[in-house]
Amino acid sequence: MPPLSGWTLWITGFVGKAPALDHVMGFLANDFFVPVAIALIMLGLWIGHPDLTRRGQLQKAIMNASVAIGISTLVVRTLNVFDFWPRPFLVDDIVIRESATYAAQTVFYLPHDPSFPSNAATISFAAATGIWFSHRTAGAVLYFIAFLWVFARFYAGIHFAVDLAGGVMIGIVTSTMISKVFMPRTEPVPTWALKLGRFLYLA
Amino acid sequence: MALDYFVLVFIAAIGVYQIASIPAGLRGLWFFRQHKVQYFFGILAILGVFGWFYTSEERNIQHTVEGAQQLWLFLGAIVFAYFINAILASVIQAAVSKRGDSPIRGKQQDRGMETLKTMTLLDGILSSWRKKKGIED
Repeated sequence: MPPLSGWTLWITGFVGKAPALDHVMGFLANDFFVPVAIALIMLGLWIGHPDLTRRGQLQKAIMNASVAIGISTLVVRTLNVFDFWPRPFLVDDIVIRESATYAAQTVFYLPHDPSFPSNAATISFAAATGIWFSHRTAGAVLYFIAFLWVFARFYAGIHFAVDLAGGVMIGIVTSTMISKVFMPRTEPVPTWALKLGRFLYLA
Repeated sequence: MALDYFVLVFIAAIGVYQIASIPAGLRGLWFFRQHKVQYFFGILAILGVFGWFYTSEERNIQHTVEGAQQLWLFLGAIVFAYFINAILASVIQAAVSKRGDSPIRGKQQDRGMETLKTMTLLDGILSSWRKKKGIED
């Protein structure tokens, strides 16, 4: 059992008390809504600036965020090998297990992949951090959306708080390393990629 | 589910292109001359397709569209939507110019998306091709 597992029991205790809230949380926790929303905001940033130079900077930030999403997903896959602990609805503690099972069945579904670290938290915070370095407002919006996704998944009883905190940390640290250390050192490759995009009218 | 996801991203991306191309001044992507109409169309496309996606079926189920597949479907859908959007805009603007209205014309400023500030995608490709062949515009 991970630390702070009592928090899962507390949050899943709210499920079933307000069906409208459960519905909203189910929508936010969904596998498609938030990732598509984040990606569409990044797409809007890709083409949305009138100045060629600034648009190029934003496109590089989006490339950094995209690489960070890929690398952080690899980090999650690597950590998944260790199988730290089961999902809240699979633990031995019957009180937590039953509360989380009810929450997951009401709000979401019962996923089979490992609990730690949360892939949703990892990729959403990696994206938000990558954008934050180049566009503060868009970055703040993405952090907010990422937080809503993470919170909804906690509410749905499919993750412990530690799973989510671990995912957030992996996402932020990986994205910072990619944006500030790795990608600047791989120049001129990102610039060549952007030039190829320009040749194809995509950038 | 994979096809539904592709359609969701494809139509939402067209909505995003319509909205984001206004502040960017990428007139080669515009379907409409009036910005309000274009904003309305873009928002309607995004809200409409999300509404369809979430009301047509239960989406909180164990599904087979996993992370990597989602990524490739997303990339395919946004690139496909970009070219369909640009070709449609080229056709619409060519039709408008035939009716005697002011067409989008100008020199190709730079390769890439910036070209779409002054001409449509098809005009840009034709212009590049003519330059390559040494034919004057």
